[in-house]
Amino acid sequence: MKYKLSIFFIVGFVIYLIDISLNSYDETEIYISDQEIISLVTAWKSQVGRNPNDDEIARIINNLVEEEILYREALSLGLDKEDRIIKRRLAQKISFLKQETLPKAPSIEELTRYFNTNKEKYYIDSKYTFTHYFFSSENDSYKRAINSYGDITNDVNVKSDPFLLGKNFIDISSREIDSDFGSNFSSYFKDIELNKWHGPYKSAFGHHIIFVTQFDEGYYPDISTVLDRVEVDYVLNQKDIQLENYLNEIRSKYKIYINPDLKI
Amino acid sequence: MKYLRNFFVIIFGIYLLVLGFVLVDVTDARPLISLFKNIQSDSALEVVDFSVEKTNISKSKPAPNPNKNPYYGDLHVHTKYSFDAYVFGVTASPDDAYRYAKGEGIKHPLGYEMKLREPLDFYSVTDHGFYMGMIQAFADTSSDISQNEFAKPFHNLNSLDNLTVESAGQRSNLFSSVLEGVITPSYPNWHPKILKAYLTRNTQAALKSFDYDVHKSAWADIARSANEHNDPGHFTTFIGYEFTTSTNIEGGNLHRNVIFESSKASIRPWTRIDSLNPEDLWTWQDRLREKGIDTIAMPHNANGSNGQMFEMETFFGKAITNDYAEKRMRNEPLVEITQVKGTSDTHPLLSPDDEWADFEIMDVRVGSRPPTYSKPSGSYVREAYLNGLTLEFTRQGNPYKFGLIGSTDTHTGAGAFDESNYWSKVGLLDGDPENRGSVPLKEENIERLDEYMRAFNQPISTVNLDQGEYANTGFTQWGASGLAAVWAEENTRESIFSAFRRKETFATTGTRIAVRFFAGYMLSSIDLNSESLVSEAYEKGVSMGSDLLQDENKIPEFIVWAQKDKNGAPLQRVQIIKGWIDVNSGRPKEKVFDVACSDGMQPDPITHRCPDNGAKVNINDCSITKDVGSTELKTIWRDPEFAHQDKSFYYVRVLENPTCRWSTWDAVKAGFKPREDLHETIQERAWSSPIWYNPNQSNVDVIPLGGTIELRDLN
Repeated sequence: MKYKLSIFFIVGFVIYLIDISLNSYDETEIYISDQEIISLVTAWKSQVGRNPNDDEIARIINNLVEEEILYREALSLGLDKEDRIIKRRLAQKISFLKQETLPKAPSIEELTRYFNTNKEKYYIDSKYTFTHYFFSSENDSYKRAINSYGDITNDVNVKSDPFLLGKNFIDISSREIDSDFGSNFSSYFKDIELNKWHGPYKSAFGHHIIFVTQFDEGYYPDISTVLDRVEVDYVLNQKDIQLENYLNEIRSKYKIYINPDLKI
Repeated sequence: MKYLRNFFVIIFGIYLLVLGFVLVDVTDARPLISLFKNIQSDSALEVVDFSVEKTNISKSKPAPNPNKNPYYGDLHVHTKYSFDAYVFGVTASPDDAYRYAKGEGIKHPLGYEMKLREPLDFYSVTDHGFYMGMIQAFADTSSDISQNEFAKPFHNLNSLDNLTVESAGQRSNLFSSVLEGVITPSYPNWHPKILKAYLTRNTQAALKSFDYDVHKSAWADIARSANEHNDPGHFTTFIGYEFTTSTNIEGGNLHRNVIFESSKASIRPWTRIDSLNPEDLWTWQDRLREKGIDTIAMPHNANGSNGQMFEMETFFGKAITNDYAEKRMRNEPLVEITQVKGTSDTHPLLSPDDEWADFEIMDVRVGSRPPTYSKPSGSYVREAYLNGLTLEFTRQGNPYKFGLIGSTDTHTGAGAFDESNYWSKVGLLDGDPENRGSVPLKEENIERLDEYMRAFNQPISTVNLDQGEYANTGFTQWGASGLAAVWAEENTRESIFSAFRRKETFATTGTRIAVRFFAGYMLSSIDLNSESLVSEAYEKGVSMGSDLLQDENKIPEFIVWAQKDKNGAPLQRVQIIKGWIDVNSGRPKEKVFDVACSDGMQPDPITHRCPDNGAKVNINDCSITKDVGSTELKTIWRDPEFAHQDKSFYYVRVLENPTCRWSTWDAVKAGFKPREDLHETIQERAWSSPIWYNPNQSNVDVIPLGGTIELRDLN
C-alpha cells in the first residue's frame, strides 16, 4: 500500500519535471499565438484595404511584442496596484462579461411575462376633446361662473372671458391638461359624463365650465404593436438582473469594513 | 537603384512645391494664386443625415392650433462634450440632458439630484464646437491622444474620487490652459497633416492636440441623441452647438449658438479655429442653406462683450452695409437676452429713466480673469435696436432687427430655472451656496478658495461682510434664468423652427409667463373679451417679430395679453418699451410705458406708471403677499406720443410681483440673512420680440461728412 502510494508520487514528480522542461513559465519568455497575429493582420487589412507586406507584418508583431514587454515590466513593478483606472476598467470588463452572456434570444412567453409585469411603461394616455367657458379670476370668476351655469345649459348666450390658450382642445392628454390649466385640473375629467356641461372647476387662472365631447380612454396596447420596444427593454433588463445576481452571489464572499465614526 | 533615388527626389520636390503654393496662398490674396483654392474640398460643408430609426410606437399627436400655443425650451445647454464642462466635473451626456428636459432627474457632479418642476417642450444640446469631445479623450487613458504630454494633466479627471470641490483650483488651471492655447501647438509646416488640413479646409486638423475622428464622433453622438429624443407633437429637439468666438483685442465675447432645422447637419461644426469672424460663420450658413440645410445662429452674453456684440462697424472695423445687415439678419434672427450669466436687456447707464433697468446685471467680460469691466455701450439689446434704427437712418441697413429668446447656458446638462432650486451652471465651481457666495465661508474653505483663485489669476477672492467672509468670485452676479418661448401651431421641429424664423418668440427669466402681442390699424374694433380675440388679432394685425408699415395717417394700435406662470407669482404690470429715431435730429430715444396694471388699477396718464400694488416679500421665509397681483392682464394700447415719420420699435416687458432671489433662498435655507450687498428680491419677467413701425421712405438723404459709411445706390 505504502509502496503504491510512493509510485504515485514519483510518477507525479516525473510528469512535473517533463512539464517544466517543455513548457517553461519563465517570466522572460513571450509566446505569441497564431490567432493573435492573424486577428491583428485581419484588423490591419480591414482598415487599409490590402494585405500587409512583410515589413508591415514585422512591424505589427514588433508592436505586439513591445506592448507585452512593457506590460510585464509594469506588472513586475506593481504598477497595476491601487490604480483606479485599472480597477475600474477591470470592474467594467467583468460587468460587461456578466451582462453580455445572455443565454438565448427571449421567447415570446418571456416577453409577454415581462410586458405584463411592466405594463405601466407602455400605457397610452387618456385623451380628451373638449370645449369650455372661462371666467377669469381677475373678474369675480366663481360668482360669475356659478351664475352662468344655468344659462349655459339652456343655450343662452353668456358673457365669459377668452382663455389665452384657446377655447377648444382636441385630443389632449391629462398631462397636457395639467400643463395648460395647472392645479391638477385633469382630475375633474375623471369619469366625466360626455356631452354635458360640468363645473365650475377652478384652475390656476379662474373658473371653467367644461363640455367633453370625446374621451379615448387610456389603454395598455396589445403586445404585438410594441413588441420591438418590449424586446429591447427586456434584454436591457435581463442584463441588469444578471449583473445584480452575480454581485449578490459574490458579495457574501467579502467582509466590508467602514469606519463607523466617520463624520460627514 | 538610381531610378528609385530619382523617384524619391521628384516626389520630395513636388511635395515642397505644393507646400510652397500653400504658404503663398495662405498669405497672398492675388487672384491667380487663389485659383489654387479650387483643389480644396470643404470639410465643413459635407452634409450627413443623422436621423435614427425609431422603434417607438407612433404616438398620436395633438391637433395643430391655428391660433398657436406657447412652447417653452432651452437652446443653450452644455454637456460633458464641452471642454469647460468636463473640466469642472460634468459627466452628463446629451442623452442625460434630454432625459432631464423630459422630466427625469439627473445627477449634479456634487451628487445631488437635479429635476424640473415641469418638463420642457423643446431643448437643444449646444456644446462648444471647438475642441468638442477632445478633453474627454485626453482624460480617457485608453485613447491614443491621451498618451501625449499635453493630455497628461487631464488624465483621470472625472473619476469619482476626483469629484470634489477641493479640486476646483486644479480644474480652473486646466480650463485656462485650454483657453490660452497651451494645448494648441500645430505640426511643423512641412508635415503632411498641414497639407491635408489645407486641402480639406480644416485648420484644426493641423493641431497636434486634435483628433478629427474623436471630434466627429462626439458631434455625431450629439446629433444622434437629438434625433433619438425628438418626439413630434410632444417634445422637440434641435441639433446644435456653440460657436465660441471672440475678438482678438480686448477679449470681446462674440459667442453664438447655432441650431439646425432638421435631422441633417454638417459633418462637423464650424468653429473658432476655422475663423474668429462671425461673418465667416454666416457665409458657411449661407452655403449650407444652398445645400438645403437651414440653420440659425443666436448671439448670447452681449452683456459681457465689452461693447462688441452690437457694434456700429464690422468685425474688421469697416462700415456696415446693406449687404452686411441682410446677411446678419438672414443668419441671426434671434438674440438670447437673458441667461445664467446675467440679462442683456439694458443697463442703468444706458437707460437712466427705466426703473427696472438694474436687473441681473453682469458687468464683467465673459471668462475674464481677473474680472474685467465690460463697457455697457454696444453690449445691450435695447441700445442695439436703437443703433439698428440709426444705421437704417443712414441707409446702411438694419443688422439689429432680431427677435428675443432666453436660455440658460447650463454646463451640467440641466438648466436651473427656479430661484428656490438653483445650482448655477459650472458644476463643481458653483454647485454649492458657499462657493457661489450666498452664505459665509467656513474657516477651512476660505484658505482653499483663496489658493485656487490665486491659481486662477484672481487676486482677491473673498469679501468681509456683516455675517462673515463670503466668496466673491463673480458667481453672485449670475442667476436662475432663462427660457426660450415660441408661439407655434404644434410642438414639432418644423413648426417651432419657423416660429424662430418669423421671430414670433419671447424670452423669460425662467418663469412660464405667456405673452401675446399684436399691432395693427383696426385692432380697437376687436372686443378684448371676445372668444375670437386671438384669431381676429392675427387677421387684422401683425404679431411679435413683424414689421408694421405706415398706412397714411392712421395710428397703430397694440394688443397685449399676458398670463402668469401657473406655479409662479402673480403679474404686477405689463409695459411697452418704445425706441425711436427722431426724424428731425436723428437722435435715438426710448421710453417705458406701463400699459396694464394689476388689481384693476390704471396707469397714470402723465407718468405712464402703475400705482404700487403693495406686493411684498418676507425675506425671513420668502413668503409673498397673498391676493395681490393678477393672473392675467390684457389691454389695447395706442402710443400717446406717436409720430408718423419716426422709425420705431415696440416690445413688451411683463413683470411679476417680487419674489426671493436665489441668493436669498440659499441664505434662508442655511439659516443666514441674505447677503447685504446683493439684491434680496427679483421681479421675474418676460420680454416679447419687438414690432417695428416703418414709415414710408422719406425724401431726405442723410449724408455724413467725412464718415466711413459706404453708401449704396439710394434707389
